[in-house]
Amino acid sequence: MSADDVADDVDGDGAGGGGAEPGNGPTEADEFDDRPGLYVESTVIMTTVRVVAPFVLTFALFIMFHGADSPGGGFQGGVIAGSVVMMLAFAYGIESTRRWIDVRAVVALAAGGVLAFVGIGVGAIVLGGQFLQYTEYERLLDHASKYGIELVELGIGAIVASVAIGLFFLLAAGFTHAVEGETA
Amino acid sequence: MTPFEWVIVGIAVVGAFFGAVAAIGIVRLPDVYTRAHAASKSDTLATVLAVGAAALTLDSGLSTVKSVFLIVFLFVTNPTAAHAIARAARDQGIEPWTTGTEEGDDR
Repeated sequence: MSADDVADDVDGDGAGGGGAEPGNGPTEADEFDDRPGLYVESTVIMTTVRVVAPFVLTFALFIMFHGADSPGGGFQGGVIAGSVVMMLAFAYGIESTRRWIDVRAVVALAAGGVLAFVGIGVGAIVLGGQFLQYTEYERLLDHASKYGIELVELGIGAIVASVAIGLFFLLAAGFTHAVEGETA
Repeated sequence: MTPFEWVIVGIAVVGAFFGAVAAIGIVRLPDVYTRAHAASKSDTLATVLAVGAAALTLDSGLSTVKSVFLIVFLFVTNPTAAHAIARAARDQGIEPWTTGTEEGDDR
């Protein structure tokens, strides 16, 4: 039990209370904190997420980079990358994750993805080709078509991931307000 | 067919059997906890056996390695997801199903 308490304190930044055991029922959780519906961390879920999250992010990049010549692509990989944040939110609590990830960073990621996509597309026009005509970059560096496709896929992935994260946070905000409205 | 292929067919059939068990359990069992019980254990075993049969069928190259990775992560994540669902149901205050007349309020 003491190990569980230490794990809760280290990882949950105190949100679950110092003495909160992983198996607490709803009534005990309400006694610990005046906020209703507060999430109490589970050691099983936190450990699994901590182990799996890097692999999931790697798999997301794997899917994104294989979009050019095999099944996969920026959309699927972006959704997987966004699901990493949702997984962290399920394990460590939605409000903790919301404090950890600045909303401006999410918006900046989406804007950066759009800028990468448009920049590569318009850059080809500047070099004298059509929109997204990667072959125009061949005179600048070798294998420019592949790099262009991969960069566009990364941009799409950044857009999809950040939009998924933002939508998830918006839905979670509605849920929290609904819970507070019920008890108030 | 070689004996090795018969072994692969046997593994796939056992996996399909446990998949059917999981599906029947989700349809027939009474509440969320027993359904999570059926879905997590039987479904994990069914998926792992099916992917294992695929891993044995494929050439012993990159595809087999990917299948083995799939099996490892299924074994880690599938029970954890079932645990999270059951735990969230308990946080919401859902009472476990009992036979009714016996004591069912010992928690």
